[in-house]
Amino acid sequence: MSAVTAAKTAAPTTPTTSGGGVPARPRRKRVPALWKHKALYLMAVPGILYFILFKYAPMGGLVIAFQDYLPFLGIGGSPWVGFDHFVRFFSEDTFYVLLRNTLMISLGMLIFAFPVPVILALLLNEVRTKWFQRSIQSVVYLPHFLSWVIVVSIFYVLLTTDGGSVNNLLVSWGFDPVPFLTDPDWLRPMYIFQEIWKGAGWGTIVYLAAMTAVDVQLYEASELDGAGRMRQAWHITLPAIRPTIIVMFILAIGDFLELGFEHMFLVMNSLNRDVADIFDTYVYTAGIENGQLSYAAAVGLFKGLVGLVLVVFANRLAKRFGEEGVY
Amino acid sequence: MRKNLFAKGAAAAAVAALALTACGSDGSGDDDGAAGGPITWMATLHTPVTPDEDGPIQTALEKHTGEDFKVQWVPAASSAEKLNAALSSGALADMVSMAPVDSSTVRQSLTSGMFWDVEPYLKDFPNLAEIDPQTLDAARLDGKLYGVPFQKIKARYGVVVRQDWLDHLGLEVPHTIEDLEKVAVAFTKDDPDGNGKDDTTGFIDREESFDLGFRSLSGYFGAGDDFEVDDAGQVRSTLDGDAFKQAMEWYRGVYEQGAVNQEFVTMQKTNQQDAIARGKGGIVVTGLFEAKGYLALAQDADPETPMKWALVNDMTSGDVPRRILTDTAGGLGGWLSFPKSEVKDEAELQRVLGFADKLLDEEAFGLMTNGVEGTHYSQDADGVVTIEDQTAWEQEVQPYSSSRLSEKVVTYKSTEPYVDEGNEKMLENEQYAVVNPTQSLSSEAYDRQWTTVHDAAKDAYNKYVVGQIEMADYEAAIEKLRGQGLGDIEQELTAAYAEVNG
Repeated sequence: MSAVTAAKTAAPTTPTTSGGGVPARPRRKRVPALWKHKALYLMAVPGILYFILFKYAPMGGLVIAFQDYLPFLGIGGSPWVGFDHFVRFFSEDTFYVLLRNTLMISLGMLIFAFPVPVILALLLNEVRTKWFQRSIQSVVYLPHFLSWVIVVSIFYVLLTTDGGSVNNLLVSWGFDPVPFLTDPDWLRPMYIFQEIWKGAGWGTIVYLAAMTAVDVQLYEASELDGAGRMRQAWHITLPAIRPTIIVMFILAIGDFLELGFEHMFLVMNSLNRDVADIFDTYVYTAGIENGQLSYAAAVGLFKGLVGLVLVVFANRLAKRFGEEGVY
Repeated sequence: MRKNLFAKGAAAAAVAALALTACGSDGSGDDDGAAGGPITWMATLHTPVTPDEDGPIQTALEKHTGEDFKVQWVPAASSAEKLNAALSSGALADMVSMAPVDSSTVRQSLTSGMFWDVEPYLKDFPNLAEIDPQTLDAARLDGKLYGVPFQKIKARYGVVVRQDWLDHLGLEVPHTIEDLEKVAVAFTKDDPDGNGKDDTTGFIDREESFDLGFRSLSGYFGAGDDFEVDDAGQVRSTLDGDAFKQAMEWYRGVYEQGAVNQEFVTMQKTNQQDAIARGKGGIVVTGLFEAKGYLALAQDADPETPMKWALVNDMTSGDVPRRILTDTAGGLGGWLSFPKSEVKDEAELQRVLGFADKLLDEEAFGLMTNGVEGTHYSQDADGVVTIEDQTAWEQEVQPYSSSRLSEKVVTYKSTEPYVDEGNEKMLENEQYAVVNPTQSLSSEAYDRQWTTVHDAAKDAYNKYVVGQIEMADYEAAIEKLRGQGLGDIEQELTAAYAEVNG
């Protein structure tokens, strides 16, 4: 495993390690239980191997965060520097800029993007004509299968002030052109809108699946009591999918600092960098472009740790409110 | 896991090569046979298609050089990552194309002692002995040559202007910055394409303005190539030099008149080409070889296109004498380097250098430039080369053309418009080329901080040109960068410069 992939994969893998301990059982019972279910355990072997090989083993590469790593010296030969890279990172102005940008966008995502699939799923659930519901579903899934490069390119063509359709329309209505792509104030709305456009339809799948499990008798009973469609959605459907929403919310919290490199990297440019630079893009510029692999690994590790803490915290919170949580 | 296997394989191959070449030199004294196993070459790929290993070019090159070789193509976009990965896993090839020139990864690796210093050996090979001394100068790092330089034309840039638009408006071809501005504004306001719509602009610039287009323009104002040395021997960044700032003020003025595409900051190269081909603008600061491509693109869209280009290579500003910034780091496109881990001893080094030398022969150069006569191109009695099968050329030949060790072995005549003119004007440029005086000096701060400094300065430049910030803010940004590494870089380079030239 190369240092680069280790640095990159380190962060995403960290939150998933929080699998929690196996509940303690009396020792003598464990071995027979293992033997009894050997077929099941055997089936789990490929999955476990996958995690060990591709998720845990590369984490060894994280040690470069505590070294002055140079590729030609290797992990064995590079000098150890302790927490120097972390100290440098936390004492630089960039840290606060990155933290602010990441938090602002993550908050925006939670507030604006997270509820959209829920609402969309509720709406779809109310559509009674099956073929219509199906076709709408397929149409809203589609953007999920487009890569970010394509999504951002489509928006580029629509939004550019040098002949983009949206701006042409604005100008023909007598407004001034709006520099959506370069104005720092437009970056966050545009980013979140693109996330919603691409992901909302796909996000409905989980909720729609949860809704199919709702007991039909509940709806029938409520109808007898004179509940309308709105009341049914509010008092039956929503409470029924609440555990699902909470699990999705915890997962979203875990990804709080994990906005994804590709999307931001594509919409970022010189003029909006002040609000667009996030941890993921910074790891790339510092690590790959500037060759400071150790420093980038330190930043990535920090981000991963924060993600881990957030997941544990959100899970605790969910349990305190009497919900199931993810583990 | 595969890398380990590969490393073992490569090591085994290297050992075998060592044993066999040793035999060769003991015996007949002729070790250029294919006895030592194929030479491996990690080369950069600039085209979308990877050429076939048994393709006509590779076969012909093997025949010409008498060596079997294998190319591992690395797409240019991921070359830095791949290089890091290859260095850390030790999975290198016998020959590694090291580029770009200003990448700190590349420079740090080269000076790490992993690669052969080839300078003492060059004189033994007819083509390698004749490398341009200015390019050799540029290629030395701390006085050592850690690879055979890829030679490029030293200054390929110029200004290309729509001749048909000039004719339509009754304007002359601009040769001074003052006239260039007038033309740019006229192209924006006076409907140069005569379609009755306000849909044209002067300059079509792109995201890399700071690195390419504007950079070249700043040279006309007298700005240096990244660094300048003053009379006292102090190395100063050009970023806040008077000439550079003057050029910025001028360019912002042009931008404010609408004569530069307003969102150049987001424009990618292909979008730029597209905009030029569709006649959105009439001035491009770019390589003089590009005019041919623009015309071809325009003809694809509209065979009747009236597009004509004027190629200007002698732009001047005020009383600044004619000069042009090198866009190829003094004719240096990178290094072809030989890792000591793969090329174990001098005998092997002689073999790979011999191979590199043969690639510089006219015949090999022709193969990598035009392809095979009859298949890819034809040549008439005047030596004019015509590419016959464009698709085959793009797939089979073009990938090799960016791996040529020199771009200027032979200049072929062409029937394509603007090619001969462009070649001629680029060669004229060579004597006016301005090269960064500190390029071959090494500075730890430069390796560590330059990319960061450069990116921050680029952001500040872009913000200034589009009017987000003012000149005072730009100056403050550069001054701040002095505290964040630029100052150290200047100091270290001054010291290194004094050591070499003092």
